[in-house]
Amino acid sequence: MKVMQTESLTINFGGLKAVDEVDFAIADEVVGLLGPNGSGKTTFLNLVSGIYQPTSGKIIFQQEDITGSGAHVIRGKGIARTFQTNRLCLNLSVIDNMLLGLYSQKESTWWQAILQPKRCRKELRQNIEKCLLLLEHFNPDLVEKAYDPITSIALIDRRRIEIARAIVGDPKLLLLDEPTAGLNSEETTQIINDIGKIRQGDQQICMIIIEHDMNVISSICNRVVVLNAGKKIADDTYQEICKNEQVQTAYLGG
Amino acid sequence: MQRAAFASKNSLVTLLVSVLACVFLYFALVGSLFVALAVIGIGLALIVLGEYRGKAEAIHTAFGEHRSLGITVLIIFVLTLPFLLKGNNYLLHIVVMGGIYSVVALGLNFQMGSTGMVNFATAAFFGTGAYTSALLVTKFNISPWLGTVSGLVLAAVLGLLFGIPALKTRGYYLSLVTMALQVIFTLMIINTSWLGGPNGVPGIPAYSLAGFSLKTSVVLFGIKLPYQANYYYLVFGILGLAVLVAARLYNSHVGLAWNAIEQDEIVAVTQGINQTKIKLLAFALGAAFAGLAGALYGHYTSFIGVENFDFSISLIFICMVLLGGMDNVLGVVLGAMLLTIVDEKLRDFADYRMLMYSLILIIILLARSQGLLPKRIRKYGKLRDSKIEPISNG
Repeated sequence: MKVMQTESLTINFGGLKAVDEVDFAIADEVVGLLGPNGSGKTTFLNLVSGIYQPTSGKIIFQQEDITGSGAHVIRGKGIARTFQTNRLCLNLSVIDNMLLGLYSQKESTWWQAILQPKRCRKELRQNIEKCLLLLEHFNPDLVEKAYDPITSIALIDRRRIEIARAIVGDPKLLLLDEPTAGLNSEETTQIINDIGKIRQGDQQICMIIIEHDMNVISSICNRVVVLNAGKKIADDTYQEICKNEQVQTAYLGG
Repeated sequence: MQRAAFASKNSLVTLLVSVLACVFLYFALVGSLFVALAVIGIGLALIVLGEYRGKAEAIHTAFGEHRSLGITVLIIFVLTLPFLLKGNNYLLHIVVMGGIYSVVALGLNFQMGSTGMVNFATAAFFGTGAYTSALLVTKFNISPWLGTVSGLVLAAVLGLLFGIPALKTRGYYLSLVTMALQVIFTLMIINTSWLGGPNGVPGIPAYSLAGFSLKTSVVLFGIKLPYQANYYYLVFGILGLAVLVAARLYNSHVGLAWNAIEQDEIVAVTQGINQTKIKLLAFALGAAFAGLAGALYGHYTSFIGVENFDFSISLIFICMVLLGGMDNVLGVVLGAMLLTIVDEKLRDFADYRMLMYSLILIIILLARSQGLLPKRIRKYGKLRDSKIEPISNG
């Protein structure tokens, strides 16, 4: 069953078609999104997560048309994402960044935050507990540092926190934009292990990953979609993609 | 055994620091300008030294553990202050004004400190509350209490309306829009004779409680308290509530969402934060605080004029938040109190008052750009210790 699909998804920036009539579908699987620089990979994720509104086309998530919904609505429906450059709130603590990941599920309203009925405090306590448990799952050291500001945390742990923030609210679809950018090979291995752990949990989260490292793609993706100049040029298994001539031309120039 | 000793040490620290803070505030209030500045200087030096030696964090933790003790000391200080001042009506007037301005600054802090939206129209919200209540009471003879509530509500509505154009802009542009709104407010008051025009609204009645007007002096424990003392207790009661509301919002998902918007709007919305709603909330709540304070101000001074709500007053509110510490509830109140005190003490300088005022501000901000009590990491009090005790084996 399709979790998310797009139908001729298009966005124009002035004269440039950054994403051009892309038909895409994802079931319960991990899909790698490949393509040269400027091919529209990140723009595609921005469209799916609601940061950009498409010029034309449709986005369907769990049989529901979510085209044109705001980013916060889409997050509430269960699509979470990370960013290519690490975008945590640097002035906030580790735990506060994690708690943001649970924001879309909160039940307390703003006036309950003022009146503070018991339920409100209980919700916050449970949320803190949930965040700490997940942090421990990723890196036990982070529990000790939960109340430290992000500025004092190492880059690899910041990556982990960003991924943890995206999955703490149990999304159905996770969009990872170059999770290993800026990491060395050893750190890349660690992050890939962590991403692998997400799928091992009892919560089945399907993922779209943008990645340049072919080892990463071959080890965790069930399927690969290749974009070039905004158009989808291939959609197959990794082995088949490697043999695809159009893909080779796109990458190496023709 | 060791733990008990540690706990009592922390309670001692809390007691000491809060008593010291009260003593400092007292001397800043009763002393001359020189004494007030010296007290602020010493206080600032102690804070800086404390941070340098790493003691600030320990004191912060101690306060977190014994919050009720610190609050008790403060409440005792606030309750006994009129007696300590021996019923001096001028000093009490300064404190009442400090209390009123603190409420406004707390409201502005939602927008400026938490959400990073510098609002130059706070005086307009303050004025909306004052004018609404004053006009309703003088023209339609309703109760001042009811007038105050109307002032609060109307200011909140105006805050929502001001917020809508402000949503379309951010950063400097947002500030420019709020400046324009402030100017419109001032011009509207001056040019509408029904609103008092340039003459202001005189003869605003005082509050009364079961037939007892707050404008009468009372004799308590052998000390004759001027009418300002009645207002003092009223204003500080309301300030207490305002601090409670602000602190709860800060420690809740609302404060967190405001901070996220301040840091990175894209990240905030992708975490499910409704940007429109949460920004408008900051505007409406901030305006409600300012409106409430404005109504209190009108019924306290019995006269309001447009000069009490113009652009320069907005600037002073911004300075209060900046000086005290952005997004720090106690810091904002401290900033508002100190600036009100310094402003009053500068009256000796007559024409040079604003010059001196600006000079002091520049020096303090150069010495400490983050404010007296800077923004802190949320610790969530008792809730934080709910560490890794699996809820169930699921």
